[in-house]
Amino acid sequence: MLVHTEHLSKRYGTFTALDGCSLQVRAGEIFGLLGPNGAGKTTLLRLLLGYIRPSSGSARVAGFDCVRQSLEVRGRTAYLPGEARLFRRMNGHMVLDFFSRLRPECRRDRAAGVARRLDLDCGRQVARMSTGMRQKLALAVVLATESPLVILDEPTANLDPTARAEVLDLVREARAAGRTVIFSSHVLSEVEETCDRVAIVRAGRLVHEQSLDHLRRRHRITARLTGPIGAVPAALAHQVTVGGETDGRIALEASDSLAPLLGWLATLPLDEVRIEPVGLSAVYDAFHRDRGADGRTA
Amino acid sequence: MWNTAIWRKTWGDQRGLLLALGALWTAFPWIYIWLSSQIPMPAFQDVLLRAIPQDWQKLSGVPFTEVATHAGRVALAFVDPVVVLAATVWGITRGSDAVSGQVERGTMEMVLAQPVRRTAVFVTQALATTVASAVLCGVLFLAVWTAIATGPWAGKVDPLRFVPATLNVFGLMTCLAGISACVSAADSYRWRTIGILCGFYVFSILAKLVGRLSQTLSWVGYLSVLNAYEPQRLVGDPAAAWPLLTAYSAVLLGTGLAAYVTGAVIFSRRDLPAPL
Repeated sequence: MLVHTEHLSKRYGTFTALDGCSLQVRAGEIFGLLGPNGAGKTTLLRLLLGYIRPSSGSARVAGFDCVRQSLEVRGRTAYLPGEARLFRRMNGHMVLDFFSRLRPECRRDRAAGVARRLDLDCGRQVARMSTGMRQKLALAVVLATESPLVILDEPTANLDPTARAEVLDLVREARAAGRTVIFSSHVLSEVEETCDRVAIVRAGRLVHEQSLDHLRRRHRITARLTGPIGAVPAALAHQVTVGGETDGRIALEASDSLAPLLGWLATLPLDEVRIEPVGLSAVYDAFHRDRGADGRTA
Repeated sequence: MWNTAIWRKTWGDQRGLLLALGALWTAFPWIYIWLSSQIPMPAFQDVLLRAIPQDWQKLSGVPFTEVATHAGRVALAFVDPVVVLAATVWGITRGSDAVSGQVERGTMEMVLAQPVRRTAVFVTQALATTVASAVLCGVLFLAVWTAIATGPWAGKVDPLRFVPATLNVFGLMTCLAGISACVSAADSYRWRTIGILCGFYVFSILAKLVGRLSQTLSWVGYLSVLNAYEPQRLVGDPAAAWPLLTAYSAVLLGTGLAAYVTGAVIFSRRDLPAPL
């Protein structure tokens, strides 16, 4: 495991920003972090980077303690904050020069290459850059390193569609190069198409972890009933969940390969059958709709 | 404890203010001495020694007989607002930008995402500010020297008498920068840091005045760091100048250094809020 947290908590007086978060991120995977505003995603990331100290629990990156060995952690981590602010009086070249001097393994030519891919004019002063351009510059700073861990907090915020696609390509290239990426985003489609695993955070708690590979094998089948259906065959019982009937329509959920199911479905009295992937939004909604602010069911 | 990239960036950050104050302190001694020379010494002595009540000497801190000399008149430049306020502005501005300024702007987030120690960031900035303070004081002394040597009072004043006074200015700048950096280390808003330091400065002025004017409350003066800023005394008595300067520097530089150390400890341990 490259990242390991154990009962990691952060409290500000009576307010709990993160509550007993235990998660593990494997080396070489893209790990997504999902949650609404104020869920605790950024708190978790900032605890890893040593900006804030935990109230309890522990966190380790590449075996280094995030509190006592923060310098070693940051030497192995490239971090893009959710609100990346750069020096207004500098231009893009000066910013890239500055950060390449701060981090010995950062390659200036690589940073320039990322900036070119993102179509960024580095000759412009930061004060005269748009929000999207500053985000691109910050991405060039972060993705120029060859650190084993890359943490990106809302990396595609304020980016045009072309740049967004480039960023996702860069994230996948990082994984292909053996690096680990933690990707925090509100955009479910990006998380779904890029990540290997995802954790859902709500009200400071880690409420669910999901493998995207397993998720892609899950499907929802909805249809109009034209007659009664019997029990699910025993061979398929472990992978099929039958939902309730509403207005003559029924929903079934398949958690594994569809192929074994199709034969049985063909025998059922169904009409207007729709088969669609469950999708991350359904998983996300299951933990964020009809729930109280404390994450418990309302 | 040192970082070259931070050193270069800090010099870039302070370059504008450094050049502005450098230009001001280059021009000011010339203008001041020329303006002062427009009032003939006998007229000046007349006003000072006869027209102004001698009780007012308490405000001066040095006897009017010392002020009513060419060296004393030049020494007045070191307590002129152009020098004192500029030194104060420098110290508070540079110190407040050390942490709270960067936290408020959000740039500290990207810097501390890099493998650089917080103490290295803080100490490198402190060193850059201190060296720049020394450069400014060097500019001030050279300007005083050349203004005396080539101005209307050439031959009447020894420029070397103003070395201790210039070093006293350096002590003041370092003291205020250190205290400002210490407050900045604990704060997240630069405007609040500046406000606290302005309040501290006003308190220091008032405490010094109360200490000077009241016999029963003379101890209040010791609550003010400005009690150790006495360039006129350093000019007025050359024989006692260096021992006095040592005592003043112990207070100013000692306070500044203690404040910097405290600030470094605070900064290295505190939580940093995310940029708004």
